[in-house]
Amino acid sequence: MHELISKCQKSLITVDKYYDAALQHVRGELIVNGKLSRDNLDREQHAAHGLSWVAAYRATLKEMVNWASNLDSTGTFNETEQLILQITFSEYCAQIKSGIPMSQLEYVRPQDLGLKNGLFQETGTEEFNDLILNGNSTADRMKLAQLLKDGFSSKNFGNCGLDETTSIIQEQFRKFVEDDVTPNAHEWHLKDNLIPMSVIEKMSELGVFGLTIPEEYGGLGMTRFVDCVVTEELARGYIGIGSLGTRGDIAAELLITGGTEEQKNKYLPKIASGEMLPCAVLTEPHSGSDMGSFKTRAVANGEHYTITGNKTWVTHGARSDVMMLLARTNPDEKGYKGLSMFLAEKQRGDDDNMFPDEGISGGEIEVLGYRGMKEYEMAFDGFQVKKENLLGEKEGNGFKQMMETFEAARIQTAARALGVAQSAFETAMQYAIDRLDTNGGSLYDKPRNASKIVSMATEIMAARQLTYYAAREKDKGHRCDLEAGMAKMLAARVAWACADNGVQIHGGNGFALEYPISRILCDSRILNIFEGTAEIQADIVTRRLVSTNPA
Amino acid sequence: MKILVPVKRVIDPYVNIRVKSDQTGVETENVKMSMNPFCEIAVEEAIRLKEAGKAEEIIAVSIGNQSCQETIRTALAMGADRGIHVLTEEKVEPISIAKILAKICESESPGLVISGKQAIDGDNNQTGQMLAALTDMPQGTFASKVEIDGDKVKVTREIDGGLQTVNLNMPAIITTDLRLNEPRYASLPNIMKAKKKPIDQKSPEDYGVDVTPRVSILKVIEPPKRQAGIKVENVGDLVEKLKNEAGVI
Repeated sequence: MHELISKCQKSLITVDKYYDAALQHVRGELIVNGKLSRDNLDREQHAAHGLSWVAAYRATLKEMVNWASNLDSTGTFNETEQLILQITFSEYCAQIKSGIPMSQLEYVRPQDLGLKNGLFQETGTEEFNDLILNGNSTADRMKLAQLLKDGFSSKNFGNCGLDETTSIIQEQFRKFVEDDVTPNAHEWHLKDNLIPMSVIEKMSELGVFGLTIPEEYGGLGMTRFVDCVVTEELARGYIGIGSLGTRGDIAAELLITGGTEEQKNKYLPKIASGEMLPCAVLTEPHSGSDMGSFKTRAVANGEHYTITGNKTWVTHGARSDVMMLLARTNPDEKGYKGLSMFLAEKQRGDDDNMFPDEGISGGEIEVLGYRGMKEYEMAFDGFQVKKENLLGEKEGNGFKQMMETFEAARIQTAARALGVAQSAFETAMQYAIDRLDTNGGSLYDKPRNASKIVSMATEIMAARQLTYYAAREKDKGHRCDLEAGMAKMLAARVAWACADNGVQIHGGNGFALEYPISRILCDSRILNIFEGTAEIQADIVTRRLVSTNPA
Repeated sequence: MKILVPVKRVIDPYVNIRVKSDQTGVETENVKMSMNPFCEIAVEEAIRLKEAGKAEEIIAVSIGNQSCQETIRTALAMGADRGIHVLTEEKVEPISIAKILAKICESESPGLVISGKQAIDGDNNQTGQMLAALTDMPQGTFASKVEIDGDKVKVTREIDGGLQTVNLNMPAIITTDLRLNEPRYASLPNIMKAKKKPIDQKSPEDYGVDVTPRVSILKVIEPPKRQAGIKVENVGDLVEKLKNEAGVI
């Protein structure tokens, strides 16, 4: 085994010890009489969420070692990949030791997790300390910067570790995106256009919408892992393109895990072919993450349910054919248990007539970024849904059914974040290389510019390996809400950091609407918010960590 | 009818080529490789002919090291039916490629061989013509349009003065120019189907061809970098500089 890989492995021993100590502390704070105390979780939120970040870093570093070992075994662990591994380990171990940014303003420090300062002096392995001290030198960073620059024209920023088939898939989607998406994305954004149907039709032909749907229902039955690779490439062109499939994904997961055989046969083939575009109608004006307090009512009425209430943040609400609609069927149950999920068909609307159906009205919510499908608020007043469109034809399962989709949707969202991060990274790098200063050199020759690029490349690879890991766990049929949550949380933070620093490299031009990096900044901002905010993800991850019996 | 399509693995056209520091060639380590763009056009044309009912089977051939398998797999994902991989670590020159292809033509008897007009690595533009000579088949090079009519194929060629149309008896050899078609992306279902399509592995010895290079490369160097120009004050200065500095008059 490569010397660096074994060094990283040995430094993981310290990371494990630190994590175990932090877990024990947080458990002590949150578990009362053998049960998780909600009050304590709220009071100790900083430490509790901090634990989830420590866990995410630990999982990431483990995956980086696995990634490197796999490359090493095929003789492809070259200098670029070595430096990515080394710098990631050095930086993340240093952050674990001194403070991990949960956001730009909130750091989780060892003392927040009840750990005394001396912990690392006592228990840090030689390798852990050496990597922190010597693994991230300016010389090494500049060497990686040069290698990244050499690889720029072939978009070779380190081997992601894909097999032959997945590489072909990646290459084909990259071509599609370079030809049909990248040249148009900025205009779609600036004009706030819906993504043209011709592009959606091309994506249907390429098989995007049926990717993970089982073959017996008209899909391709491919893995979540392949979906990650495809999604990253699509989102690299435009976040909206990488997000078109998300709705189909959620609808398909709902049907597969909660639908009746008739419902599966009726809807899955149409979703797989792209003939039917779904939208998720969940959030209400007064509550988003807290689904238990949803108020929209579904009242049984002969062969129908009558829907009344207000929904908001419906992505692609107008130009979609079927709604995943969460509404309260039982008003006596105030919490989750009173909710039911409907797959309610609707007519496709457009900019002039957004909601042609009787009983639905609404309007567009203008947004900073993440355009292309548009956001809507919708008001339901007597809208009729057939009884057969109640998912699973049983009331009261809506929340549980929705929960079943979170793993897949969050992994897919992590992959979207990777694509946005990658586009910020490449756009910033192009600018830094092209922009000349008065001495005839380029911006890229300035270490603080090149160093930003190096951090982007290493963090994107780290978040990518964690995302791949979550996807592979899902493909094995393992429960992976933990891994999905960590991947989404990290990838979203990385995307925002890449976009923000990408603008910085552009200087004043990055602030001009004319430059694509301004759009990427806007697009990346949503990633920490939708599909479960960064705070909600941390909450979910921590609950799992402290509730699981110690291994 | 069978169509034989040779596909070459080359450095991706968007990559900045770098010369190796020892001047023995260009850097290929860690460099992105793709199917030669003209070969992609050849594969696409073969698929279109098959879709139009003019051909039954498309065979993609690649000659080179192990990684050429991926190039064949890409051709299969686009729509070719099976592959032949002639495995060799040698740097194979056009004459050896043409000899191997000639042998494959003997055993497969294709109605058409459609190849790229040249590969963007060596820009040799020789293989198709050499193959025509070796097999005594008619050739239509630099094709921008291909129409099959019975046992004849009409090829519109892009030549310096405009377009030339040739009528060839089949079997024939066609080499593709840039404007013949726009190659498709391989869709996910087709990429999955391609995994099950067979690739026959062969060696140059199987065809009795000696691929030892006949040309030896002395050294490879980068073209000189273009120098920045200067502005001269008047015609006198210009003439003086052209005479004494540039030495062109």
